[in-house]
Amino acid sequence: MNEITTVLARAGLLTVEQREHWKMAWLSTVDHKRIGILYMVTALVFFVIGGIEAMFIRLQLAVPNNTLLHPDTYNMLFTMHGTTMIFLVAMPVLFGLANYIVPLQIGARDMAFPRLNSFGFWLVPLGGILLHFSFLAGGAPAVGWFAYAPLSETPYSSQLGVDYWALALLVLGIGSVSTSINLLVTVLTQRAAHMTLRRLPLFSWMIFVNSFLVILALPVLNAGLAMLLIDRRLGSHFFLPPGGGSAIMWQHIFWAFGHPEVYIVAIPAFGILSEVIPVFSRKPIFGYEFVAGSTVAIAFLSLLVWAHHMFTVGLGHAVDLFFVASSLLIAIPTGVKVLNWSGTMIGGRVRLDTPMLFWIAALVQFLFAGLTGVSHAVAALDWQTKNSYYLVAHFHFVFVGLIVFAILGGLHYWFPKMSGRMLSERLGKWTFWLMTIGFNLTFIIQHFLGLAGMPRRVYTYPDLPGWGWMNMVSTIGAFFMAAAALLFVWNLAASLLRGKLAGDNPWNGWTLEWAANSPPPHENFHELPPIRSRRPLWDDLNPDRPDPMVGTKWRAETSSPEKNTAIIIAFIISETGFFGVLILAYLFYSVMPQVGPSAHDLNLPKTVIFSLCLFASSLTIWRSEVSLLQGRQRAMAGWLAATILLGFIFIIGQGLEYWGLFQSGVRVSSNLFATTFFTLTGFHGLHVFVGLIALLIVLGLALTGDFKQGRSPALKAVGLYWHFVDVVWVLVFSVVYLLPHLR
Amino acid sequence: MTTAQFILSGWTWNPAVILTDALALVVYVAAFRDRRRIGWFATTLGVLLFTLLSPLNTLADGYLFSAHMAQHILLLLIVPALLLLSLPRSLSLAVGPRVFSQPLAGWLAGVGAMWFWHAPALCNAAVTSRPVHALQIVSLLVLGSLFWRQILASREEERLSPPGAVLYLFSACVTCSVLGIIITFSPVTVCSIYTMQPSDPLGMLRTIRTDWGFSPERDQQIGGLLMWVPMCLIYLSAIFAQIARWFALSASPATGKA
Repeated sequence: MNEITTVLARAGLLTVEQREHWKMAWLSTVDHKRIGILYMVTALVFFVIGGIEAMFIRLQLAVPNNTLLHPDTYNMLFTMHGTTMIFLVAMPVLFGLANYIVPLQIGARDMAFPRLNSFGFWLVPLGGILLHFSFLAGGAPAVGWFAYAPLSETPYSSQLGVDYWALALLVLGIGSVSTSINLLVTVLTQRAAHMTLRRLPLFSWMIFVNSFLVILALPVLNAGLAMLLIDRRLGSHFFLPPGGGSAIMWQHIFWAFGHPEVYIVAIPAFGILSEVIPVFSRKPIFGYEFVAGSTVAIAFLSLLVWAHHMFTVGLGHAVDLFFVASSLLIAIPTGVKVLNWSGTMIGGRVRLDTPMLFWIAALVQFLFAGLTGVSHAVAALDWQTKNSYYLVAHFHFVFVGLIVFAILGGLHYWFPKMSGRMLSERLGKWTFWLMTIGFNLTFIIQHFLGLAGMPRRVYTYPDLPGWGWMNMVSTIGAFFMAAAALLFVWNLAASLLRGKLAGDNPWNGWTLEWAANSPPPHENFHELPPIRSRRPLWDDLNPDRPDPMVGTKWRAETSSPEKNTAIIIAFIISETGFFGVLILAYLFYSVMPQVGPSAHDLNLPKTVIFSLCLFASSLTIWRSEVSLLQGRQRAMAGWLAATILLGFIFIIGQGLEYWGLFQSGVRVSSNLFATTFFTLTGFHGLHVFVGLIALLIVLGLALTGDFKQGRSPALKAVGLYWHFVDVVWVLVFSVVYLLPHLR
Repeated sequence: MTTAQFILSGWTWNPAVILTDALALVVYVAAFRDRRRIGWFATTLGVLLFTLLSPLNTLADGYLFSAHMAQHILLLLIVPALLLLSLPRSLSLAVGPRVFSQPLAGWLAGVGAMWFWHAPALCNAAVTSRPVHALQIVSLLVLGSLFWRQILASREEERLSPPGAVLYLFSACVTCSVLGIIITFSPVTVCSIYTMQPSDPLGMLRTIRTDWGFSPERDQQIGGLLMWVPMCLIYLSAIFAQIARWFALSASPATGKA
């Protein structure tokens, strides 16, 4: 153990006092830099696991009619490989980089909410362990990474694999949302003075935009997972056609999340590219505004096009046409970015160090991925290539060709900042060439395999002309990539021990992270250089020819909202997506003909009374805030207590409604009405309950005299949340209780 | 009637619409001395005339739900936006009750109009009853103007700041998408009037159903999709305009040294 502490201490990653308890110093950390590193190390561990799974897949496919793996094992491996690489590698490593770099780039001391940050990280290992525990609990999921219903339902996957899969993703989803909310609020509220929103470095800008996307997209998946789990554990039929459910609904929910997800991992990669291509071209980015603006365009468009994953489902000609058009639109902002990056390199003094090599490869490969992407956006072509190796090749060009390459470049670029030592350039170049050759060997040929008709997800194939050698080439390529990965890990370890000292700014970067020491001290900065443009360090070093100043024009770019208010609003946005899906599902199933209990069995008059209590509680909490502003402590506590009382009455009312239904034999699994009713009102009730706990805590704080100063962000935040819960009930009440009587 | 015949003869010469348009032009010329943006105003009137007089209107009048939806989008989003753009830049819109200048009011007006007029009963009534139809057109124009004034008010200081405007437009886009999604995938007919056999005075029904391939189900689907995708793209275009506004003048030498 002594060696580890010595290495960590020598790398500046551990202070003298922490050497004795170095494990706790890392495991209990709330420092954004350490959490960032923990994220990345976790991702690296899962990268190795997912990589080994991929190697087995390629070994099995290396020759025709191979019997190395049992078909079931093969199904588990590709499911676990996909899930692991996306949820346990790509997202954590990008969150890790964002965690480490964003606060430094904006000149902040730490994230806005360090403990929430730690919570978000620890959900990743928890989710990873849950997912992999399925191996011990009777078999890993074998349903593909998008777990299409009805295959993922109990009648077809009766073992616990899918349950662990859904639980793990739910845990990871909650972690992703909390980290993204945190990043969003950090950028909004923790920026250094003069670091206006329009002066943000592009990486931070893109993480900022991306956080919106996570907050909007992940809750949709979470709602779907909750529904899947209710189906599997409580015997309902959300996605089971025999019980009246809709398997297509799962596809809509999954891709409404799944398409933005592609951009959730791609946009940070774009951010890395936009950050460092300029540094290695010795030129400012060409068209900052276009790079920044096209990111917003990509983010918003990506929410609008998910149905292009479902062209072959049979949604109808009209639906297909609209989504062909909107999907093709995405080519414009992504094309703008490629032009900007190329324009940055043209006329620059391009330095071909390892990071830059990775980015040039990423750029070329991304262009290629984009071209095959366009062919998938055209429904007629998509029908021919869907679920063939052509598709497999396409998305690996996106996920590996762009994202993994960008991340590897980013890690080579920022490793000196994190450790104080350079990665070996010689090993880095080897890694790069092995990786690039291996990647292209593996995946270019898969396009042709797909066009020759090889479907994805088959555990073996007959000895058709050409298939054998093409698969063998692909497998050989995969081993090059594995060698590159091993070399990279070796490089990390060796350089941490014996790497060349980096100094504060080894690449002559221009953004604020290079103004901190390498590695940065606990408090990040002792002193910040003046910030008046997007390249503060350039201005600092070249006072005679600084960048043109980026002026301030809007109040919104200089001022910061209060962080508790900001975070609760971000949380409410994410919850809106969650409830939106549940309400839409209720509406969709409510018009299906079904036998058994219906909305007319509900007790409308009673519920009206209990609902009025809940609505009244919005007024009382508002009065409580007003009382606090007026300095009337006792009135505030009184109104707060009234709010809690009204909330409890509502919960009791809901309990009575449930009891009545139970008495008449209605269960979650009775029919789709019962399922959707209990799901929707149950989750709402849960939110009311959580709100009540929060209110009780605030009341406790108020009674101990915590809010003597007059204003309380805590009360305001809880108040906003409580109003939101009430607004959701207005919608639920209208849809569940009133709508049936209007028909 | 064939498609070509229909395009030629499907126009309605509604004197009320033509007179109102002419009157509006007179008022514009009389009211504003600064007429540099009269081109915008002419476009506004042109689009309005197209919406209410062209074959599109005939289709919306009992034949196709999707045509009716296209008309809605034009009346709620395109015409009011053009109208606001046609106003002289110095004109302050801070008139009338203060509540109209609240962003929330504008948002509710723009989004509420869409949800309100697609309640099945109202949707049918707007086709069958002339007064309700007229009310619908006027309300869409008014509510659309209230919505857009937060974004397109002639004076810069009366508009939302770009980040606020992006959230304003994006949330409107999402809310309309949700309605579009419901209409697209709902097994329930939203506007049952279009599925019944209309009186079909032009003898167009055969052409629409067989030549154009608009079955009642597909018609509703296209209506929903129009609201889901193109309508959202209008909001997104406005968002991109806001981003351009946000980054315009980013390097402003006028501000001097920090």
